[in-house]
Amino acid sequence: MAESSDPQDVPQATVVPQRRARVSIVWIIPILAAVVAVGIAVQRIMNEGPTITIVFKAAEGLEAGKTTIKYKDVAIGTVTKVELSKDHTKVVVRAKMSKDAADLMVEDAKFWVVSARVTLSGVSGLGTLLSGNYIGFEVGKSEKERKEFVGLEVPPIITGGQPGRQFVLRTENLGSLGIGSPIYFRRLQAGQVIAYDLSADGKAVDLKIFVNAPYDKYVNPGTRFWNASGIDVSMGAGGVEVRTESVIAILAGGLAFETPAYVGAAAPAAANTAFTLYVDKATAMKQPDPISQRYVLYFNESLRGLSVGAPVTLLGLPGGEVIDVGLDLDPAKTLIRGRVEIVTFPERLIARLHKEDAGLGRDLAKSAQERRALIKQLVERRGLRAQLRSGNLITGQLYVALDYFPDAPKATVDWSAEVPTMPVVASTLPDLEAKLSSIVTKLEQLPLEQIGNDVTKVLATLNTTLEGATSALKNIDSDLMPPLKSAIEELRQAVGSANQVLANTDATLLGKDAPAQQELRDALQEVAAAARSVRVLADYLDRHPEALIRGKTEDRP
Amino acid sequence: MTTPPLTAAEAGLVSCENCSLLSRPVGADDHGYCPRCGGALEQRHPHSIQYTWALVIAAAICYIPANVLPVLTTNALGSSESDTILGGVLLLYNTGSWPLALIVLIASVMVPLGKLIALSYLLISVQRGSVKNNHDRTRLYRLVEFIGRWSMLDVFVDTFTVALIQLQPLMSVEPGPGVLFFAAVVVLTMIAAESFDPRLIWDTPNVRQGHHG
Repeated sequence: MAESSDPQDVPQATVVPQRRARVSIVWIIPILAAVVAVGIAVQRIMNEGPTITIVFKAAEGLEAGKTTIKYKDVAIGTVTKVELSKDHTKVVVRAKMSKDAADLMVEDAKFWVVSARVTLSGVSGLGTLLSGNYIGFEVGKSEKERKEFVGLEVPPIITGGQPGRQFVLRTENLGSLGIGSPIYFRRLQAGQVIAYDLSADGKAVDLKIFVNAPYDKYVNPGTRFWNASGIDVSMGAGGVEVRTESVIAILAGGLAFETPAYVGAAAPAAANTAFTLYVDKATAMKQPDPISQRYVLYFNESLRGLSVGAPVTLLGLPGGEVIDVGLDLDPAKTLIRGRVEIVTFPERLIARLHKEDAGLGRDLAKSAQERRALIKQLVERRGLRAQLRSGNLITGQLYVALDYFPDAPKATVDWSAEVPTMPVVASTLPDLEAKLSSIVTKLEQLPLEQIGNDVTKVLATLNTTLEGATSALKNIDSDLMPPLKSAIEELRQAVGSANQVLANTDATLLGKDAPAQQELRDALQEVAAAARSVRVLADYLDRHPEALIRGKTEDRP
Repeated sequence: MTTPPLTAAEAGLVSCENCSLLSRPVGADDHGYCPRCGGALEQRHPHSIQYTWALVIAAAICYIPANVLPVLTTNALGSSESDTILGGVLLLYNTGSWPLALIVLIASVMVPLGKLIALSYLLISVQRGSVKNNHDRTRLYRLVEFIGRWSMLDVFVDTFTVALIQLQPLMSVEPGPGVLFFAAVVVLTMIAAESFDPRLIWDTPNVRQGHHG
């Protein structure tokens, strides 16, 4: 079988040329390019943050592609588009946030435009003058994500990280307070007003304030807040008082707080505790006075100058106030007298007790019985009496003083009445008044009118004398001056003439060719000639004396 | 007389690439060396089409980030601004210097894109064995080769600006990543144009068979 086969029939193996590697190494280049490009694209997409919209009232200096959104001065996004809202009333700003800021875009995040601002409390945002405005950002506390925001008109005063606490103050009206109004604690700025709003019932204003750490720990439930705006001038029995916190508070309004000494130490108040805002410090610091005792006082003297709120003092220390001033008709209808109702706050006086007596004070504060016994004792044995006194002579303000008058007639306190009567003594004020009035009378008796009249008369005389003198001077002026003037004029003329004469004389007598001189010279020459003739004659006569008789004869040779 | 003139390949001859001497090849696969200048003889560039394609595709890929990414970042007084090539063109146009905008548009956008399209067209037509418009295609190839170096204009301006404007606290200019890709596009298209063998344009389909894959 094998031999019969013809080797020629076996098909020839074909040589297939070995194909060179079909894919050239050059394809690495586009693959590399693709990898890099895709890598960059992926990175971009991965870093893509959310796009948010913020609605502002106006796009003050905001530019698409340029304006950044900054949080703590770190750019966390860029404005990509600034356009008007559909109803053309607002500005919608679209911004692309960076990826790491994505989780900051929560419900109560805040946005506002940062630009240079000049306020009473300082200048801020000067950097924006060079770099342009940017959008400020403040983190919120909410967990809810959000993409649409409404921008604030003014920057929030308190930034999230700032330590401190927020409180609510309730006041009747806002007064001169506003957002940013300072809050002082012992005249140090301790916080600011951060918001205000009308209360739900419309009857008050709720102020939101922020007290910075560490001052916030001095705010406890007993702390009082009061309005420290402007200058507080009060005039009372205590005189004129001017109070202010700072110049800024005068201009921009401000608040102050303090914890009254009578409120014991307490734990700091919780955040958002509501407080009442008092009108002024005096009102604020007034003790709430849980223990109060009213008394009625009957005076048989003028109550002019005594007003409700006037202080009641015990040995000069304030311990209460007048709550009512009126009249009282006695049951027999025979007398009308002044009725003054006062309220005393024993605690205030007890608080003034010396440390060592604190234990006794506490007993007094606790037991009304003991207090009454003490008062009774003081009134009956020591002569504790009420008296009207003048707090201020100029304004005539009165106050009620409780003091000891051991010589006063006996009296007692009837604790059974609803409002017990406190015995009074007449004030020493009328004496003073009498003295004053006598001085006034004396002053009145002075013949002021007479003196005045005399003075007037003297003045009148003096006046006429002066007038006479004036007219005399005037006469001198008018009568004497013209002739004098003409005389002087004539004198001047005479002098002038004299001058002329002298000048002429000069010319006639002394000038080189003066005629007088000429004539004089001629005359002298003639005189000389005459003298010569006389000499000749004399000689002739000397020689011929006969000539006198015979006359001149011819000379004979 | 419409028949195209005989090419060296059709005649079974090889032209030296360096000194253009026409010689008879040694074998079908190994052509040997030029008897005059000693250069390696090749009927056509090996893998010319494949190389060119690879480079054109790489350039096309790079062209996208070159246009999307910023080429310049300007920091002036605290604000920083990034510009892409097209953004720069728009900025120039909007500020009124449209001749400059036109130059940048032509040099930086249209020329690289045109080169990519032209090379792709040449490659496709060669692969399909087209014999039409041979003259025009050759002219197109010459144009692509000539214009290649001029598209570095953008990179040139970029490097100059970056080097000159460094007034640190007030203003500084930094190059963006786009410029790297742009330079890559330009370089890749230049190499692609270089690796394309224009003699392929003149090959008739049957001659082309054995040489290229």
